[in-house]
Parts: sequence; structure tokens; C-alpha cells
Amino acid sequence: MSDISPDATDARRIAEVERDRVRFEEEALELSDQVYRVARRMVNSREEAEDLVQDTYARAFRAWQQYQSGTNLRAWLLRILTNLNIDRGRKAQRSPDSQPLEEGDYFLYNKLEETLPDENPDEERVIERLSQNVVVEALAEVPHDFRDAVVLVDIGEFSYADAAQILDIPVGTVMSRLHRGRRILKASLAEKAVA
Amino acid sequence: MAHCDDCEQMMQPYLDGMLSDEEVAEARAHLKACPWCERRFKFEEKLRHFVAVAVAATEPMSDALRIRLSELRSSQT
Ligand SMILES: [Zn+2]
Repeated sequence: MSDISPDATDARRIAEVERDRVRFEEEALELSDQVYRVARRMVNSREEAEDLVQDTYARAFRAWQQYQSGTNLRAWLLRILTNLNIDRGRKAQRSPDSQPLEEGDYFLYNKLEETLPDENPDEERVIERLSQNVVVEALAEVPHDFRDAVVLVDIGEFSYADAAQILDIPVGTVMSRLHRGRRILKASLAEKAVA
Repeated sequence: MAHCDDCEQMMQPYLDGMLSDEEVAEARAHLKACPWCERRFKFEEKLRHFVAVAVAATEPMSDALRIRLSELRSSQT
């Protein structure tokens, strides 16, 4: 017979759950800068991004026991964030008619190179034609579906598989949206940097 | 031997590591012989990094939000 009473076992279990919860909350909060960075580029204003991140953490802290320890917590948080964003009717913001013309992958380089006096300049000099602000503005103009793929993979450094899970779309769709999104971004950069 | 147009098509999947061995060999052979395309590939690599850095440096999370998030914790001590 065990000499531990049922009460003591319960108390210990409760203490363990509490410890897990605290650890979960700490780990989630450590990722908040990265979650915010991705969120900020998925929506159009700082205010929207802050609301979305706050709602994400509120939901995550309530549903923390659904998170499987050892899996990608950052991806789990962003999956919640993406769902909340869709719930807020973000689909209504899409404007498929105003997508910029899609240019080839060398388009941006060719455009920037034209602005330099020397022939065949070093790629380093070509990239110097771009500023931080221009990049941020151009990214904001990429339509949502394409932008989300670029933001998750190129900025959030998620794998295709994680991005697919976060966005709830097949991996092949992540790849085609990423490919297209980068092209749209570059066309938009070319327009802004050369203007 | 690939043309510059084919090479342009291969750029994104090449940098993403999504090409077959055969295609990689084809792209490399072209890049070795074509500095024009090579500069564009190097530019693309640097551009991806530049975009990530530019975005990361802009508008970090506010302290107000950081505080609001920590207040959501169940176990504030
Ligand atoms: Zn070439």
C-alpha cells in the first residue's frame, strides 16, 4: 500500500500542471517580438497588429493545454493569429483586381542597374539603390495571400511545411504563392525605387 | 546549355534548393559561363536578406504591448 494519500497525489498533479502552465507562458512571451514582427507585416497598421497579437496571446494562454510540448511553439502561435485574422473578416480586404503586373525575376535588377552610370555594376552597388522604407512600403502593397507566404518564409524563416500549417494550405500552394509574392514585391520595389 | 531566360526561371527554385541535381548542374554551368546572370543571382540572395533586415528593423513591438501581454498571464507574481 502506498502511504501517499489521494489528496497529496492530487495536490502534486495540480502543482505540476501549474508549473507547466507557467513554463508555457514564459516560452510564449519570449517569442512575442518574433510573432509581432510577422503580424505587423500581415496587416496594414500597427494598431491592428497589436490587437491581433494581444488576442492571440489571450487565446493561447486559455488553450495552452492544446499545445503539444516539443512542437514548434512559434508556428502554433502564428496559426492562432492567422485564424483570428481570418475571423476578423480580413478576406474582405483583398483586392484581386488591383494586382500589379507580374514581371520576370530579373526585372528589379535590370531596372535598378539602369539608374547607375557604370556598365555591369557590382550587385552590392545595385542593392544600395534600395532603402529600408521602400522595402517596407513595397511589401505592404503585395496582396495578402502572397504577402503572407513571403512574410512567413522569407522574414519569419519558417519552413514551407510550417508555413503551410500556419496558413492551412497545401505546401505546393505555399511555394507558388511565395514565388509569385516575391515577384510582385520586386515589381513594386522597382516601381518605387526608380520613380 | 541553358539560355539566360531558362536561368532566370531557375533562379528562385535554385536558391530555395528545390531543383533536381540535373537542373542544378545545368544552372551552375550557365552561371559559370555567364557573369550577367551570376550578378542577378547574387543580387537575389542579398535582396532576400536585405528585405528581412529592413523589415525587422522597422517598428519593433511597443513596450505598451509587451506589458499588456505579460498581464494576460494567469500567474502574475
Ligand atoms: Zn545568362
